Amino acid sequence: MLSSFGQAFRTPDLRKKLLFTLGIIILFRMGSVIPTPGVSYAAVQACLAGAPEDANSFLGLANLFSGGALLQLSIFALGIMPYITASIIVQLLTVVIPRFETLKKEGQQGQTKLTQYTRYLTIGLAVLQASTLITFARNPENLFGPQCTNILYRDDVATIVIMVLTMTAGTGLVMWLGELITDKGVGNGMSLLIFTSIAATFPSSLWTIRQQQGWGTFAFVIAMGLVIIAIVVFVEQSQRRIPVQYAKRMVGRRMYGGTSTYIPLKVNMANVIPIIFASSLISLPMMASQFRRSPTGDNPSWVDWVDRYLVRGDHPVYMAIYVTLILFFTFFYVSITFEPDEVADNMKKYGGFIPGIRAGRPTAEYLRYVLNRITVVGAIYLALVSLIPLVALSLFGANQNFPFGGTSILIMVGVGLETVKQIESQLQQHKYEGFLR
Amino acid sequence: MDAVRIALQVVLVASGLIQTLLILLHKGKGGGVSDMFGGGISTSVGSSSVAERNLTRFTVIIALIWVVSIVGIGLIDRFDA
Repeated sequence: MLSSFGQAFRTPDLRKKLLFTLGIIILFRMGSVIPTPGVSYAAVQACLAGAPEDANSFLGLANLFSGGALLQLSIFALGIMPYITASIIVQLLTVVIPRFETLKKEGQQGQTKLTQYTRYLTIGLAVLQASTLITFARNPENLFGPQCTNILYRDDVATIVIMVLTMTAGTGLVMWLGELITDKGVGNGMSLLIFTSIAATFPSSLWTIRQQQGWGTFAFVIAMGLVIIAIVVFVEQSQRRIPVQYAKRMVGRRMYGGTSTYIPLKVNMANVIPIIFASSLISLPMMASQFRRSPTGDNPSWVDWVDRYLVRGDHPVYMAIYVTLILFFTFFYVSITFEPDEVADNMKKYGGFIPGIRAGRPTAEYLRYVLNRITVVGAIYLALVSLIPLVALSLFGANQNFPFGGTSILIMVGVGLETVKQIESQLQQHKYEGFLR
Repeated sequence: MDAVRIALQVVLVASGLIQTLLILLHKGKGGGVSDMFGGGISTSVGSSSVAERNLTRFTVIIALIWVVSIVGIGLIDRFDA
C-alpha cells in the first residue's frame, strides 16, 4: 500500500494534481485563521479560551464544518456551510418545483444549470448567515459566555457592512477553491474541504480529552475510534448487488448487449445527509430560545422546556427525538435520490431485466421492496453511529464535538474512500495496482 | 492612519464585490449533495476555454488584492488600537 502512495507521487500527472490539491487546502486553512477586519484577534482568542464548553453547542455543526473558523470570526468563518445548505435546498426543490425536475432529468446540461442556481443561492445564504453571525458578534456573550463583553474594534454601521461583505466574499472564495480542486485536483473539492475542516479540529479536541481525563481515557478513545472507523468502512463498502441481464440485440451486422451486470444498492445509500438534516432541525428550537432568554432568569416556560430536553445531548428525550428524525430522513432522502420506477424504466428501454422478474412495473416493485428492506438496516446503522457522541457525552463528559462522533466519522470515511478510489482509478491508467484490494 | 485605513476599506469592498461577481461568472463544477458525500463517481473532463482561463487569472489577481487589503486593515487595527 505504501509503495502505491510512492507510485502516485512518481506519476508526474498525478503528482501535479495531488500537489495542487494540497496547495489549495493549505490556502483554505490559512484563510480560516485570518480575522475579519474589525474583529480583534486577541480578544477573540481570550474569549475562546474562557468559554464554557457547552456555551456554543447550538453552533456545533456549523462550527464543526468550518473547522473552528466560525467562532474565530475569520474571513472564511462561514466556510462551506452555505454551499451545503444551498445544494440541499436545490436538491429538495427538485421534488417540489417542476422546472427543477425537468432540469434534473435533462442530464449534464440541466445539472450545470442547477449547479449555477446553487451557486447564486450560496451567495444569498452567505449574506444572511454573515449578518446573523455578526449580530451575534456584537453581543459576544451569546457566543462565548458572560465573561466576554466585546470583540470588535469599532461598532459603526460602515464597519458592520464591510464585515458582512468580507465574509460573503470569503464564502464565495471557498466555493471557488472547492471547484478548483474538483476541476484540476483529485476528488470532490467541496467534500475535501469539509474533510479538512473536520480533521483540523481532531488534534485539539483529542488533546482536550487527554487534559481533562488523563492518558487512560485518551488511549481508550483512540482505540475505540479505530474500531468505529473500521466498522464504518465495512458498512460503507457493503452493498446488495441485484443482477441484471441485458438481452442480445442485432443492429445491422453487429451484436450488442448480452452482458450481465448488477445494480449496486448500498446499505447506507443516504450517507451522512440524514444526520445533517436531523442535527440542523433539532438545533432550531435551541436557536430560537437564544433570542427569548432574559438575563434575569425568568424565561418563558417553553424556553425552560427546550433547555431541559433539547440542549444537552445526554437526555433520553433528546436521543429519542434525534433517532426518530434520523430514521425518518433516511427513508425520505433515499426515496428522493433513488427512484425504482425510473431505474426500471431505463432498464426496459435498453433491454435489461432482472432474472426471474418481468420488466416494467414488477421490476420497479421488486426494486422498491429490496430497497426498503436494505434501508431499514441502513437507517438503524446511521442512528447507532450518530448516537456515539451522545453516549460519549454521558460517559466521559466530552463535549458535543467529540472527535469520533457520528457526523465527523461518516464524512471522513466517506470522503476518504471516495478520494482514494479516484486516485486509484487515475493510478491504474499508469500502473495496475491500487490501494484497495 | 485613518486615511490609509479608509483607502484600504474602499479597496476591500470593491475587490470583494468584483471577486464575488467573477466567481459567479465561472461555470460551476460538481453536482449537488449526493456527489459531495459519495454518490456515483463522476469524472469531469476538464475543458477550460480561453475565456475561462482569463477569468481564472483575473479572479486570482482580485483575490490577492482582497487578501492583502484584509491583512493591511488587520495590521493597522492591531497596532493602532
